[in-house]
Amino acid sequence: MSDMPQPGLRRRLAFPIDKIPLLLFAALLLFFCFQAPWFLSWQNLSVILTQTAPLAILCFGLACVIIGGGDDVVSGGIDLSLPATSVLAVAVVSIGVQLDVSIFLLALLAVAAALLAGLLNALMVVRVGLPPLLATLASSVAIVGLTNYLARQRRISIDAPWLVAFRDGDLLGIPWAVWFMLAVFVLYQFLVHHSRWGQHLQASGGSREAAELAGLPFKSLMLHSYLLAGFAAALAALTLLSRGSGSSPGAEEPLLLEMVLATFIGTAFSRRRVVTIWGALLGALLVNALSNGLALMRVDIFWVGTVKGALILLVLSAAAVQRRGQL
Amino acid sequence: MSQSTMAVNTASGSRGDRALMLFARYGFQLMLLVFILFFALNSPVFFTVENLANVLQGNAILLIVALAMTLVVVAGGIDLSVGVALDFGAAFALVALKTWHWPWQAAVLAALTGGALVGLVNAILILGFKVKPFLATLGTWFIGSSLERVLTDGGGPIAYRRMATAYHDIAVGSLWGIAIPVVIAVALMLICYLLLERTLFGKRIHAVGLNPVASLLAGVNVKRNLFWVLIASSVLCAIGGVILSANLRQFSPLAGQSYLLDAIAAVFIGTAFHPQGRPNVPGTLAGVLFLGLMANGLNLMGLDFILKDALNGLVLLVALVLSFWQGRLRQRLQWQQRGSS
Amino acid sequence: MTQSLHRAAAGGLFMRHIRKAFAGVAALDGVDLTVHPGEIHGLIGENGAGKSTLIKILAGVCTPDDGEISVGGRVLASVSPAAVQQEGIRFIHQELHLIPHFTVAESVFIGQERSHRWGGLNRRAMRADSEAFFREVLNIRLDGNRLIRDLSQAELKLVQIARALIDGEARLVVFDEPTAPLEAREAALLFDAIRALKARGIAIIYVSHYLNEITQICDRVTVLRNGRQVATLDEVKAEDVDRLIALMVGRELTTLFAAPAAQADTSVPWLTLENGGGEAFRQLNMQLFPGEIVGIAGLSGSGREQLIDTLYGLYPLRQGTLRIAGKAVKLRSPVQAIARGIALVPRDRRHHGLIQPLSVADNINIASPQSLSRFGWELKEKARKNALALAEKLDIRPRNVRQAVRYLSGGNQQKVILARWLNSHSQLFILDEPTLGVDVGARAEIYHLTRQLADKGRCVLVSSSDASELIGLCDRLLVMRRGEIVADVPTENLTQDGLLALTSGGSEQETPL
Repeated sequence: MSDMPQPGLRRRLAFPIDKIPLLLFAALLLFFCFQAPWFLSWQNLSVILTQTAPLAILCFGLACVIIGGGDDVVSGGIDLSLPATSVLAVAVVSIGVQLDVSIFLLALLAVAAALLAGLLNALMVVRVGLPPLLATLASSVAIVGLTNYLARQRRISIDAPWLVAFRDGDLLGIPWAVWFMLAVFVLYQFLVHHSRWGQHLQASGGSREAAELAGLPFKSLMLHSYLLAGFAAALAALTLLSRGSGSSPGAEEPLLLEMVLATFIGTAFSRRRVVTIWGALLGALLVNALSNGLALMRVDIFWVGTVKGALILLVLSAAAVQRRGQL
Repeated sequence: MSQSTMAVNTASGSRGDRALMLFARYGFQLMLLVFILFFALNSPVFFTVENLANVLQGNAILLIVALAMTLVVVAGGIDLSVGVALDFGAAFALVALKTWHWPWQAAVLAALTGGALVGLVNAILILGFKVKPFLATLGTWFIGSSLERVLTDGGGPIAYRRMATAYHDIAVGSLWGIAIPVVIAVALMLICYLLLERTLFGKRIHAVGLNPVASLLAGVNVKRNLFWVLIASSVLCAIGGVILSANLRQFSPLAGQSYLLDAIAAVFIGTAFHPQGRPNVPGTLAGVLFLGLMANGLNLMGLDFILKDALNGLVLLVALVLSFWQGRLRQRLQWQQRGSS
Repeated sequence: MTQSLHRAAAGGLFMRHIRKAFAGVAALDGVDLTVHPGEIHGLIGENGAGKSTLIKILAGVCTPDDGEISVGGRVLASVSPAAVQQEGIRFIHQELHLIPHFTVAESVFIGQERSHRWGGLNRRAMRADSEAFFREVLNIRLDGNRLIRDLSQAELKLVQIARALIDGEARLVVFDEPTAPLEAREAALLFDAIRALKARGIAIIYVSHYLNEITQICDRVTVLRNGRQVATLDEVKAEDVDRLIALMVGRELTTLFAAPAAQADTSVPWLTLENGGGEAFRQLNMQLFPGEIVGIAGLSGSGREQLIDTLYGLYPLRQGTLRIAGKAVKLRSPVQAIARGIALVPRDRRHHGLIQPLSVADNINIASPQSLSRFGWELKEKARKNALALAEKLDIRPRNVRQAVRYLSGGNQQKVILARWLNSHSQLFILDEPTLGVDVGARAEIYHLTRQLADKGRCVLVSSSDASELIGLCDRLLVMRRGEIVADVPTENLTQDGLLALTSGGSEQETPL
């Protein structure tokens, strides 16, 4: 058996640039721990976990699309319409509850609506050839319009018993929303990282040529990824519903920025520096911890937005620089 | 070559092919016609001179912003900071008028400077730090909006009710019977058209947008040309800001945001009107008019604003899909005709 | 597991009377190829001899006009990539198409992943199986968990091989220039792996320009020339390299090339490179004189391409000094290079030389717009006339300068780029692979034009992989090998054999393999 020669001089970025946002995050969180000692209390952590649920699930969906389409923001896969789709599902369910529709039918409707949205995105990107950024932005606007029309742009409060149970109840001290989030996490983690389909999806996002050379059906993989993302949006709707106790107009706005931020920051957690499902989960937790900490310290809403915006720029730029350094 | 291109039958003259070709050339225009007829039938006011003039005036600013976007997209990038440039233009002009009591001409110059500043930031990011246009302009957008909020203590407008009528007239006055904003917009449109189609600068921008590497190897100073495109784009938006602030007699922070998506949509819809699917000035005009007429038509139908918004969103989506589809079809048919190269 | 890895191929590959013509020009004219199981069969020939066409036909990407292919005694009815794959024919292309963030095991099993009964990916099995494959079939130790982006060139090649062979169904493997990016030691490792495959009864076709390697590893060799199979040797030894060269070459150096009008004045160099070093080359010394056509020869990996790019300002010169007209300069971009008088006709003419959707006139005028404009306003008519005049001069067909350049033939496209620089006042013309994909007729025209350039006092630097072109066209040749200039010779008495020997290290072995 022979010994392999050492890897040749390969241009590798000596400094792990994509860890910078993570370090910043860690620094901020540490800051919170010192400034607001009740930040680490079990009660607060529980709040953070519960609040993370909708964001995390949305991030799982976005991760699917990015993994399948490549993580370049402009030319790769992305789905900006997920928060809007989720809010649409929330509105559908809220209206349905008011009309005394059965839970089963409601769930079906919500999922159907979300899947249709996913299908729309997939068709625009795969069939018509619209850049994903533009396509999902446009569909986002249309979906928000539809939602506002259905809900008359008004808040709908509902207090169906199953919702109250979901919102207020817990199992072994852990709120249902957290269990739900974990269940969805397990599902998506398996699908994307432990199944054949998931492996093929990752290949598509890694290199379309390599995927096609291996005989992988690029177009249907993309279609599936958008459908899965839509499904995630439907699942997230349940947690959004419980968090807001109903449907509120404009609920999707803050979620968009956070979703992109959390998903991309997740790359810092993976050895391969790619978007992953568990990276998205951790990213969502971090982002929410940040929001929570900032709120506890009564920081002005404007500065919260600024910090998040700055972070997202940093994360995206670091990813871009990273990509240029490779191959 | 994809399977589908090979599978389409080469017998040109078949009914299906002819229909496809017609659609590829006129599909979008046909849809526009259908919509116009629909609205005309639904409201007697729609097709009147007064209404159409109203539409023009109401969309003058959008046209200007869309022109700016066209320039950047032709050069191969995208500019997400157009709203910020518009706002800066408005802000600088207002401050010049209100705080320093400059005459309106100087205020306009101040506005242009404000716009140029935004363009400069974009240029530094894209050319100096080699950030991609999308991210760089996203960054500028973000920094600009944050600055706006901070400097106005949370987003309140700076009003100047008693502003000199000369400045206000920019928005409400008229020249030879046509509203001044429309005159400005049309003038700028002509300038942009000539710039892109008849000057060397335009030729170079087209080259850079089509193939930056080949342009560089052929001696085009890609950096310098992109620089001027970015400055031009932001300065154009600043002019839009002048008109907006003159109209409202105030500077409202973040007012520019609402133009971003429509400008992008108008430019991309406009690509359907170009034989090679490239962004172009006449197409952008068509895109702006389309969006304006749709919104106006829906308005006149007296629908409540929620439904209107929803339909507007839907129309935007359909328009984009159709224009892209048309572009794709055109390219495929061209390929077939000439044979692959 | 390893026992079932490979079916012994019964019968081998037979390609009989393969004929293929493109636009009336015969690329293959009745070629036969026979490869037995357990045989390493070399396929050699100059650029344009028909090697790649033959391989494309075998790959099912191209349909032959005539002839048949049979594998294991059975004639192939349909020729498509899927059918060929089914027959156990695998290709190791020059481009890797690997995904940087995948592991070795994932890359090997891409498209055919192993899973548990309950549906989940069986990563452990894939890792174990891939490591077993490397160990037992290729005789190499390679950790299945390593990431593609951390591997060396040789390791990448081995992963590519494993990917093609892991299903155990391979009967014939075609290697296309596998050692081009490899160092000598890595190439040796690759050879061990290939010999291990041979030992398992797999038929192998080995396509390469490196003749010393061909004689080293191949059992039999087929030589193609001008679409015909000129010889099939049943045994090749190291001393046969010269014989192979003689078989490959053999084209008459006709008056494709014009003689220089006068002896070049070699007193004052226009461009000097002193001790130049870059990422792919080091310690380069060269001088270019006006009126002289200098050629650069070298196989892929010799650093030739990088040198050209550095001279044009695309890469920074890491060490050494570049002097133009005596003055030391630093070229940081093509714009600066052009300003100093250097013009480049790029090797990838379609994507880097021309802007395809634009017209012929636009492509010609893009480099010298000043004369065709007034205050930035384009004088369309003047520009068109200017382009037309140049098109006449260079005989660009079709004459319609308003047509998009993408519809022109390769030769005419090349002339468009030449026209562009003729317009400006460049002093040094760098031609990178000037006649790649250009038919004979246009070739002659380009050669004449090049000679005229030199006669008018310009410096010309021609980088090419075509030996006859280099010898016929150039007055002097620089030969590069693995990053250094190994020879600077006048072409007067240089033979093609001699040149090939220099570029491929034929006569002298640099390291024992």
